[in-house]
Amino acid sequence: MEEVSAKVLLFATLREKYGVKELYVKCDGTVRNLIENAASTIGESFFNDVYDDSVEKVRDNLIFLINGRNIRDIKGKVKIKESDEIAIFPPVAGG
Amino acid sequence: MNGGKMFGGFVGKILKVDLTTKTINTEPINEKIAKNYLGGKGYATYLLYQYLKEYESEGITPKDINALDPENVLIFATGPGTGILGFPSSGRYHVMALKSPLTGSIGSANSGGEWGPFLKFSGFDAIVIQGASDTPVYLEVVNGNAEIRDAKDLWGKNTFDTTRILKKKVEGKNTSVTCIGPAGENMVYMACIVNDEHRAAGRTGLGAVMGSKKLKAIVVSGTGKVPVAEPERFEELSKRFLDAMKKNPVTGEGLPTYGTAVLVNIINKSGVFPYRNWQTGVNPDAESISGETLAEKYLVKRRACWGCTIGCGRVTSVKSGPFQILYSEGPEYETVWALGSSTAVKDLDAIVKANHYCDELGMDPISLGSTIAAAMELNEKGYVPAEELQGLDLKFGNAAALVEAVWRTAYKTGFGKYLALGSRKLCELYGHPELSMSVKGLEMPAYEPRGVKGMGLNYATANRGGCHVTGYTIAPEIAGIPEKIDPLTTEGKAKWVKIFQDFTCVVNSTVNCLFDTFALSAKDYTEILSAVTGWNFSEEEILKIGERIYNLERVILNKFGFNGKDDTLPSRLLKEPMPEGPAKGHVVELEKMKEEYYKLRGWVNGTPTPEKLKELGIRL
Ligand code: SF4
Repeated sequence: MEEVSAKVLLFATLREKYGVKELYVKCDGTVRNLIENAASTIGESFFNDVYDDSVEKVRDNLIFLINGRNIRDIKGKVKIKESDEIAIFPPVAGG
Repeated sequence: MNGGKMFGGFVGKILKVDLTTKTINTEPINEKIAKNYLGGKGYATYLLYQYLKEYESEGITPKDINALDPENVLIFATGPGTGILGFPSSGRYHVMALKSPLTGSIGSANSGGEWGPFLKFSGFDAIVIQGASDTPVYLEVVNGNAEIRDAKDLWGKNTFDTTRILKKKVEGKNTSVTCIGPAGENMVYMACIVNDEHRAAGRTGLGAVMGSKKLKAIVVSGTGKVPVAEPERFEELSKRFLDAMKKNPVTGEGLPTYGTAVLVNIINKSGVFPYRNWQTGVNPDAESISGETLAEKYLVKRRACWGCTIGCGRVTSVKSGPFQILYSEGPEYETVWALGSSTAVKDLDAIVKANHYCDELGMDPISLGSTIAAAMELNEKGYVPAEELQGLDLKFGNAAALVEAVWRTAYKTGFGKYLALGSRKLCELYGHPELSMSVKGLEMPAYEPRGVKGMGLNYATANRGGCHVTGYTIAPEIAGIPEKIDPLTTEGKAKWVKIFQDFTCVVNSTVNCLFDTFALSAKDYTEILSAVTGWNFSEEEILKIGERIYNLERVILNKFGFNGKDDTLPSRLLKEPMPEGPAKGHVVELEKMKEEYYKLRGWVNGTPTPEKLKELGIRL
């Protein structure tokens, strides 16, 4: 699979926990690999915080945006493309 | 005991004050009304409708009622949940008026702090204000006694000084003040009512209504208790619900840690954070005004409303510079957006300061910020003659002009007298009503419906006008609570909007905090309201109560001449495709959603049918 590079942005408690605002991550285009590779840079627990391997998807209670679209709203197989922006938020709401 | 029978949740009395005749009466809480409408917003809406009917029987038509005339009726109301320790986030109260100066229809707003519970401890569930005084007065309510007192010395004072002076004067346990500042006195259309210094019944200009009645403040104090019909059942439920809220990531972690401003980045990254008077939904400087930045640089500590375990309130400070302020509270998400993103001001110091002045002078920052943003667009497009601005350089991004505009508006000086009219009238005045980002005259808050369609339908159909909390579909559309729905589609949105609008009526009539609903369901409300009141509601009945309240409120709207044509959005959102971001190319397909919504509601042209009213037991 072709390697792509994406920008990953962390917010709120995730930003605080990993001390990182943004990072560039190389991956094979799958979300799992992207998160795995990000975890190897910022901390192993990141993988578990974001991805539920038992059901093979991003944890439902997170807000995981790919170019502003929530991963849960994207129909079909999700593929990370070159220069995509991934924004990850812990479960928050308010207003 | 209430009217001879035991029912919990209410202290049993309504205080009725006529400021024209200076008379004070009390009236018992009517069990039947409370069973059908709960308290807070529901009971108040019922009472307002009775006033409207009474006026009509006297030959005064709804059109004859002016928001700032003595005929307007103002109601402060708590509900069966308010002031009960252990009832989730029950430190709130609701304020309503027959007519809002901003919208020309029913006025409605909600506030936290301590005032709501303390009103109940003072011996009353609600206060109804009629008429108007010739001279400034305040109302003092202490342990079941109420007196109208002279407020000449308080007139002209800001909300902080008014609160401190009255608290000192009245002393005693559980003393709290709700009041207006100079903006309310000057009848600025977006004036609000401020309690406990930094909590406000913000929307629809109810501070101006108070000002028109020359009512500066209401101080309440007391040591009473709110009865609970089934204490053991209540205790068990309370424990379970508070525990659920603590474990819930939103109510247990997100809101306590970051406050509401945590939404700034999420909403902006979703492409629905209105920027430059809604010209787009993406703000390139959102990070600098985000909840994360607020927490890092401005937060001093949290502050919760009475009895709240969430504690989303922020105590903040700007340590130095031209906008220094050593103690303030907020800003909330909506405020950051209105004073910041809508105006393109990226200096958070200035936003914190402008928000502080809004509290001090008594103005709704949502309507004010939006009005200033509309003025900025009018000005940049060359529609405002320079001499009318009198040196106020209203350009997008001008932080100093923003802060100055807050003052000028409160005192109606220079261009401030036009800003004080709200964005709709301001934009009409300068020949460009399309630049007012309002619905029914009320400025819309911080979510761009071109990219979050359910919110578009909610804004259009919300009874009080452009309001997010009437039906907060951001929960499912953005946060995925209770389930995730796609913000860019229209399918199924009508159903969600209706459910949220009805359920919110229940919350505002309970009266507790809407944020609880991130963790608690309609079933939970049914159980705890049953335990408190002793009336065994079914979940269906509870949702019916919400629907009844929403429909009765709509009946009042209809009487003021509002119908389907008013259930609409600014043309920018209906016709101009979103220029960028994830919602690029989208507009709000309103008519499609509205048709489905009316069908679900049993409305024709924005008006409840006789069959629907009969089904809900509403007698006209
Ligand atoms: S969640 Fe926030 S606004 Fe709601 S009652 Fe608690 S502190 Fe007040």
